[in-house]
Amino acid sequence: MTNLFRQTALVGVLAGLAAPAFAEDINITVWAGGSNDSDSYRIEAIEIAADILEREAAILGEELNITVEGRRDFSGWDEFKQGVTLGAEAGTAPSIVVTSHLDIAPWSTAGYIVPVEDYVDLDAWPLSNVYPNLMEIASYGGTQWGIPQDAESRPFFFWRETLEGIGYTEDQIDALPEMVASGEYTLANVLEDAKKALDMGLIEEGYGFYPRPSNGPDYAQFYQSFGGELVDPDTGKLVLDKAAMTEFYQFFVDAVAAGITRQNHIGTDWNQWYNEVANGRAAFWHGGTWHFGRYAREGNDDFWNTIQFSLIPAGDDDGRANTITHPLVYLVMNQEDDRVEEIAAQLVAIATEPRLNSLHAIQSNHLAVAKAQSDIDLYRGDRWASEATEVLLGAANSQPNHLNYGAFSEAMFRGLEAAWSGVQTPEDAVAEVEAQMRATIGDDLIVR
Amino acid sequence: MTSRMLGIGFLSPAIISVCIFFLLPVLLTVVFAFTNMSTSTGIMGGDYRINTEQLRSLPDLDVSEATVERLETAGFQITEAGLTALADQFSKDTAEELREDYLGETFESRRDLERVLKDLDEPIRRTRDRKEAADLFAVTLIGERFGTEEEFRAALGTTGIDAVDHDVLTEFAYTGWTWTTDNFSLLMELPSTLRYAANTAFYVVATLTFNILFGLFLAISTFYLPGRLANTFRAIWFLPRILPPVLYVLMWNWFTWDNGFIATVMGWFGVPAKNWMMHTSTHAWTAIVLINGFVGASLGMILFSSAIKAIPTSMLYASEVDGANRWQQVRYIILPQMRWPILFMTSYQTLSLLTSFEYILLATDGGPGRSTEVWALAAFHTALNNYGGNLQYGFGAAYALVLVFIGIALSVAYLRFFNFKELLSKPRIEQ
Repeated sequence: MTNLFRQTALVGVLAGLAAPAFAEDINITVWAGGSNDSDSYRIEAIEIAADILEREAAILGEELNITVEGRRDFSGWDEFKQGVTLGAEAGTAPSIVVTSHLDIAPWSTAGYIVPVEDYVDLDAWPLSNVYPNLMEIASYGGTQWGIPQDAESRPFFFWRETLEGIGYTEDQIDALPEMVASGEYTLANVLEDAKKALDMGLIEEGYGFYPRPSNGPDYAQFYQSFGGELVDPDTGKLVLDKAAMTEFYQFFVDAVAAGITRQNHIGTDWNQWYNEVANGRAAFWHGGTWHFGRYAREGNDDFWNTIQFSLIPAGDDDGRANTITHPLVYLVMNQEDDRVEEIAAQLVAIATEPRLNSLHAIQSNHLAVAKAQSDIDLYRGDRWASEATEVLLGAANSQPNHLNYGAFSEAMFRGLEAAWSGVQTPEDAVAEVEAQMRATIGDDLIVR
Repeated sequence: MTSRMLGIGFLSPAIISVCIFFLLPVLLTVVFAFTNMSTSTGIMGGDYRINTEQLRSLPDLDVSEATVERLETAGFQITEAGLTALADQFSKDTAEELREDYLGETFESRRDLERVLKDLDEPIRRTRDRKEAADLFAVTLIGERFGTEEEFRAALGTTGIDAVDHDVLTEFAYTGWTWTTDNFSLLMELPSTLRYAANTAFYVVATLTFNILFGLFLAISTFYLPGRLANTFRAIWFLPRILPPVLYVLMWNWFTWDNGFIATVMGWFGVPAKNWMMHTSTHAWTAIVLINGFVGASLGMILFSSAIKAIPTSMLYASEVDGANRWQQVRYIILPQMRWPILFMTSYQTLSLLTSFEYILLATDGGPGRSTEVWALAAFHTALNNYGGNLQYGFGAAYALVLVFIGIALSVAYLRFFNFKELLSKPRIEQ
């Protein structure tokens, strides 16, 4: 009896010891920059992935407990990026971040992030199904650092009623995207048509062409419209094409002179801006694929009958119609515990499942990252997602992952601001941009 | 002795505060300003690595062609040493199969080798294992990070790179920050430097003038008002200072936006709506001087009011008996006795305006077209604000350091000008 009791006790103690030995607790923190309520699946997809991974582990007889903690209440990109970088310096960085692909170059050099390719099989499902050009955007210096979280594109928009007012037929308006793509309809036509609409009193002064009110990837599109190239494919160096830059600045100066764009447009309140473009106050403007949902919230629930969209038109014969895609990426941050990095990378891979990514794509009006998503009912059934993918994504390029691209883009925008607001002529502004870029970028710059 | 210790004891909180909140930041600014610190170099130090992006600029370095070629072509090679390690750590069969089919072969990237390991008859099934197995065959250091210089040099040795080139490559591969004076030569070189300096000078002088004159006006005009009314006015004019800056500037925005108060009222008179803060640089400067001016004037008002109250009232009564009017009282009695408070406010406000940028950041953010970008704001934008992500901590600190020096120089100048010793000398009556 005593013996049996002893044996039972022993078994009990061993079982008690053994169970916690198998259980593994992993805490994963996910920080998503630039995210609002409709972007909640940037974090929730990781939560779902954690559930799947726990179940996979359970089948193998391991007890894996993953706690996912998400955070997206940042006041802006600045706060988010400062939080991530300072956290990384202090050793308190989150496990996974959702951020701009442009952060890969500086953050990988600083050692803040670890290559996702060290932990997951890029040749296996679902990563093998991700569009190769998007995977390329999430890599830097020959290493796959991250996985694309979403794709988008930045189209040019037209207000149909205004176009009809200046004499376009409905068929002509429907044909605009193709005319833009083929270079038949250019930014010169935009100026002309906007001026016509202004003269006919269809729009108020300053509302002919109504651009984005703050710096962003969008402005590089207009540089490309005039034949500018951001990066030289052979050498990987950044390119300042002075002629293209001057014409790009000149276009905005001309728009101001014609009265179709406000001289003090930069700095306009974003809420005011969204409300105005969604309700037809502007004739032409440009934005992003995610604007579709925002316009509806601003009271325009008839997008298809009120708005037309296309690539950003070419500026002249040297340029091309284009659009920039600026995907956000999942990055795994350097942790003390390698196991956390491994789990984080696996969660990111699972979250890239077409079905999971489609939840985000459709809820937030972004585009798919994987080919198979066009076979998912939820995605295929969404007119905006499929048409925007078709019209825009094929011609989309991205900004380069380059350590000095930040300096390049800041200088370009400052020059634009100076010319646009009339502080400098386009030529003077470009001369100063050149001096600024030569000084800050140095050997990594090619001036044409 | 005890009383001296007591004195130091009482002073110690102040000394500690000065050290933490003044000396330490200044010291760090000096240190940062002489580095090339940025987001990509990190703050705490760096590692050693060469990636394929850097490979492209290798030919520009002072290294032999053989080295460049060695680095460029090396990849993952199936060698006997690697196979032995593979047999030890994984499976003999896999190693044997690999030897038969691939001995001597080179793979450009790890991914290519991983694919082979995955497709063998005796594959390595787990992803992580495959990666570890592939690393056994690495003869390249491209893309790999080394924590210390020794590790990196050792790796250069095993990759078979000529020892002559090790120093250059080690320096090239370091990702952390290094000491440099480039920030200051860059400052001299940039065309924007002079403009930011001129903007700052204009901002300080214009705001200061407004501050002092308006502060004086408020102090003198409220002095002649009945007590309760005067206090009410002073309280109202004190509002800009006690409002949180964000709220205060937000109200200015509502006031000046193109659908705001001014635009609406002017609209009644047929003036087309425009943004009265951002329309031109003149508008922006006017708004900035007023925004900062009202904040500064309220402090001047309080200080000047108390200074006026210190003037013996008998002098004012006497002047009234002599038939002086208000203007003559101000001109010949009040102003001459306000010399010290005015000088104090001038010096104090110069120093604080030089380094303050929060109201400009919130109101115009340096626009339109960087025409209201002042020096301190440029330091902030350079060090902490960049859409592309690579923040220039070192260069931003160089901007700030210039301000530190100007601040110290001005302080010394003001102390001499004030004849500080005289101000602190003991009252003669007690000597």
